[in-house]
Amino acid sequence: MFGQGLLKGLAITWKELFTRKVTVQYPEERLPLPARFHGRFELDVDKCIACGLCASACPNKVIQMERAKVGKRQYLTKYVMRIEYCMFCGFCVEACNKDALRFTHIINMNQYFRDKVRLVLVDRPAPEVIPEEEPAEAPEGRAAKPKAGAAGKGKAPEGEG
Amino acid sequence: MRTQTYILNMGPQHPSTHGVFRIILELDGEVVVKAKAVPGYLHRGIEKLAELRTYPQVIPYTDRMDYLASMLMNWGYVAAVEKLMGIEVPERAEYIRVIVGELSRIASHLVAVGTYSVDIGGFTGFLYCFRDRERVLDLLEMVSGSRMTFSYFRIGGVADDLPPEFFPTLDKFLHDLPSLCDEYDGLITGNEIFQARTKFVGIIPPDVAVNYGLTGPNLRASGVLYDLRKVRPYSVYDRFDFEVPLGKNGDCFDRFAIRIKEIRQSARIIRQAVDGLPEGPIMAKVPRVIKPPKGEAYAEIESSKGVFGCYVVSDGSTQPYRVHFRRPSFINLGYLEKLLEGWKIADVIAILGSLDIVLGEVDC
Ligand code: SF4
Ligand code: SF4
Repeated sequence: MFGQGLLKGLAITWKELFTRKVTVQYPEERLPLPARFHGRFELDVDKCIACGLCASACPNKVIQMERAKVGKRQYLTKYVMRIEYCMFCGFCVEACNKDALRFTHIINMNQYFRDKVRLVLVDRPAPEVIPEEEPAEAPEGRAAKPKAGAAGKGKAPEGEG
Repeated sequence: MRTQTYILNMGPQHPSTHGVFRIILELDGEVVVKAKAVPGYLHRGIEKLAELRTYPQVIPYTDRMDYLASMLMNWGYVAAVEKLMGIEVPERAEYIRVIVGELSRIASHLVAVGTYSVDIGGFTGFLYCFRDRERVLDLLEMVSGSRMTFSYFRIGGVADDLPPEFFPTLDKFLHDLPSLCDEYDGLITGNEIFQARTKFVGIIPPDVAVNYGLTGPNLRASGVLYDLRKVRPYSVYDRFDFEVPLGKNGDCFDRFAIRIKEIRQSARIIRQAVDGLPEGPIMAKVPRVIKPPKGEAYAEIESSKGVFGCYVVSDGSTQPYRVHFRRPSFINLGYLEKLLEGWKIADVIAILGSLDIVLGEVDC
């Protein structure tokens, strides 16, 4: 009979009308993100040895870093990610074998102006000497403007996802 | 009365071209006299970009060709480099590749089915397909961390093992999938209006399909049994039991219906791959710096749109000398101009939609 297919389709949509909703009220309600999600980056400054493996793994030259030689060690003074060119492929995170660079679950990286998109993870002057005893504290205390880094609060102020 | 034909531009910005694609139509009233396809609006020069990247660094760019089935694009490229270097991929990695590759195929076919429904005028079918595609993307997100551009394949294996929470979710999805396919069949395939719009429209005879180099569901809808997974099995496809659905008439309806059938078959393959997933490493032993010997290699895989091939030439350095991609959507478009002749404007949409192109891949 012509029209049977139409009726069957209607029956399906009627059935769906009474099933559970699949959508969530997005900004208020959020679905959990999987553990491996590629969100904004965070850099654990204390773990980073400024080796530059992450920067050379990147296909798009997103990562720009500057380092200074303090005593015998390399000291990371600047770590900027040009997020506007980033493909979130994760090659940089994979290349880091010190587990310093990681993905967070922060998804909101929108900025009104293009130059604000840039993610400054470290920007600090090099100290005169690195005290051997407490390498974890000393740079923090001396850095003029400790940015982001371990705390995971990048330059983007309202960027919390 | 003297009449004359006129020119109508369809696209480049047109929702039913699924991207930016332009067809210049010469019309006699409503009937197409001549059609000219103008691709290229999405050209990013991926092949050229690849020449300035190291071998692994090309992988994220392959994602951006067929972004609806990125896993399969990754696969084609890494297969070519592996062939060039003679790398033996571990079994577990091959099985994981099959699982994520078939999931990608399902996601891509769901988009094809859903958008075709909306092209013909049924919005509900579109939403149902996208609702279920979301579940596939959730699964792939668990594995790779991204929802569309996965960059999950590595030369010699895959980036990471499947996470434990992946298996129960996949199991649930595979359990539901047949009933979901029944839903699409009931809602779209069985609909008389849909059938009237698509049956015996835009027929591609089998010999023409072969001569124009069509591959994938578009070729099989014309009744030609050609699926690389069956005729020239790569990876571990020879170990799985599945059928290759075929069409009879090679019309829009067959091209549509075959994709739902392929989804069902992909589910069968995934089920077998999960059951037979061996233990072991997920990466072959590859050197830290990938430097293939001088030479060239061509590898092909069956992507969701057809045969995706990748040709890599190495000059012995860390960067490929030349990379070329055989993109199925682009080649499937070759017959479009001829195919459109004689059909009405509304059928142009139906025919183009049935070919299931992705402009990221057409323009590369
Ligand atoms: S995610 Fe990819 S593109 Fe982005 S900084 Fe890391 S390596 Fe570069
Ligand atoms: S983040 Fe990791 S890879 Fe990058 S410089 Fe620091 S230690 Fe090296």
